[in-house]
Amino acid sequence: MVRHNGQDIFVIDGHMHLWDASPENWRNQYGEGWIRCFYDYHTGLSPEEYVWPFEKYCKYGEETLIDDVFLKGHVDMGIFNSTYLHEFFKNGFNTHEQNHVLKEKYPERFILNGSFDPREEEAGLDKFQQMIESYPIQGLKLYTAEWRDGSKGWRLNDPWAYRYLELCEELGIKNLHVHKGPTIYPLSRDAFDVHDVDYAATDFPHLNFIVEHVGLPRLEDFCWIATQEKNVYAGMSVAMAFIHGRPRYFADIIANLLYWLDEDRILFGSDYALWHPRWLIEKFLDFELPEDIEKEYGVALTPQVKRKILGENAARLYGIDIAAQTAILKDDEIGRRLATAT
Amino acid sequence: MYDDLACSLPESIDRNAILEPLDRVLDPELDESILKLGFVQSVEADEGLLTITLRLPTYWCAPNFSYLMVEDIRRELSGVENVQQVHVRLQDHFAADEIERGVNSGKLFTDAFPGEGNDNLKSLRDLFLRKGYLKRQEGLLRELRNAGLSFAQIAELRIDNVHVDRGSCRVEHATAGKLQLGADDFAQRYLERRRKLGIDSSPRAPLIVDLKGQPVSATKLEQYFVYARTVRVSLDANGSLCGALLDARHREKDAIPDHELNTKSEHVRHG
Repeated sequence: MVRHNGQDIFVIDGHMHLWDASPENWRNQYGEGWIRCFYDYHTGLSPEEYVWPFEKYCKYGEETLIDDVFLKGHVDMGIFNSTYLHEFFKNGFNTHEQNHVLKEKYPERFILNGSFDPREEEAGLDKFQQMIESYPIQGLKLYTAEWRDGSKGWRLNDPWAYRYLELCEELGIKNLHVHKGPTIYPLSRDAFDVHDVDYAATDFPHLNFIVEHVGLPRLEDFCWIATQEKNVYAGMSVAMAFIHGRPRYFADIIANLLYWLDEDRILFGSDYALWHPRWLIEKFLDFELPEDIEKEYGVALTPQVKRKILGENAARLYGIDIAAQTAILKDDEIGRRLATAT
Repeated sequence: MYDDLACSLPESIDRNAILEPLDRVLDPELDESILKLGFVQSVEADEGLLTITLRLPTYWCAPNFSYLMVEDIRRELSGVENVQQVHVRLQDHFAADEIERGVNSGKLFTDAFPGEGNDNLKSLRDLFLRKGYLKRQEGLLRELRNAGLSFAQIAELRIDNVHVDRGSCRVEHATAGKLQLGADDFAQRYLERRRKLGIDSSPRAPLIVDLKGQPVSATKLEQYFVYARTVRVSLDANGSLCGALLDARHREKDAIPDHELNTKSEHVRHG
């Protein structure tokens, strides 16, 4: 809960991780390359006082996350978008099994998202079903650029992907976060192309597709698709981080999203630990669109719009009653720690 | 032209004969000359062997885009008088070896990086030339709007209504009269790309045409502008990210005492 201009605002971090990228977990040079590339993004866009040493960035652990995200970071609930990358990291980067440990400790604080990989075909269908039965999975993170056995990616409209999406409908998994963002080493193939979302969103109108990183640098493709498909949402992670060093550019992005989509389909995300949610949220609350951009686009980033982006939109997607949840969170372990701290 | 660039050339090779073609090589995403962006570290020639040293803003620059720029350098410089061979070196890049080996031996991208793409970068190059067209056009449209023209008036303009003269640019409209535009860049850059894409650029052709060369009607022009604006913001994502990463590299460099800098980081350009 963050207080701004006398108002309490419920915050859901729509995209966060507890990763292990320590050298012991690197499977090969790609594991190292991956985390170093992340680290460049971290140092490149964070305010100086929030920059970590590389060693801490590789593996920061549970207590650091709780402290950063919930105790200091203004976040009420976080969505674990599990990311596997088994070809780069021996035990995976942040799997749902690993994230589940924190979900068990703080059940009211996390939304645990799993995944599927259609390249596992028939065998994967059973595995997927088992994951849903064994873990409190509420949504999925889909990584179309993930490597697997020589394949450098897959598409949401592949025939096997459709089998999995059908199963999602059957099992009641409705929210799918699809990573479509800037190329990260070593993922260089153009597997981040967003057009597959268009097909899947049309053919599965009851599923919600949250496009993480708003397809950057393919914003125009994303906006075009999201304008037609009402079940396509904008995940703001990565785009948020421009707010500090490139505020005018951030204004351009948010103005485009408000123009093409609407204020009900934009979700805040920090991508922690890429960036710390505290400064992102504080700067966002204070942020005002430059007058010329506001006028040119004919959009407004009002306090009400910010509330929606920071929490209400995600709450709606995940069926969270904010008033009821606020009461519950006051009384969990983190809630009590917060109360004694103030 | 680019006086501060480290050039070491024998008398038989003309400096401008190298820099002019080199200036035509663009970073496809940023749609800007690699010379202007400061990516070229040095130009050297030993007898007929010309070596261009390149340093991209991040160690992780996607190999396909890097390959494309290196390939373009080789292509633009082949045929320069007294140059028999062109060699490109890539500094501080994770895939420098593969890229250098591939391009310098004339390999296609797909052979140097099997599985990374399937049509030898042609479609990638075309895609960004086309996106860049919209970005440049958006800049010109913005200038025309700022000068006071309505979308309907802009739709009536033809290429010969725009006059570029030594750094200044003005536009002449039948009823709105003569108007001064800010810089000449927007019109110049737009027309240059238009010609490169093979779109009719004769004097009486409509000033604003879409990628198929079709004029955009007065009623559709505003929506067209709005779309082009999103393309521009989209392209700027990489520019903003690269810029931020470069700034971070500079900060790191500033934090390191001079004597600990290796020769590579000494080449980092400021600004």
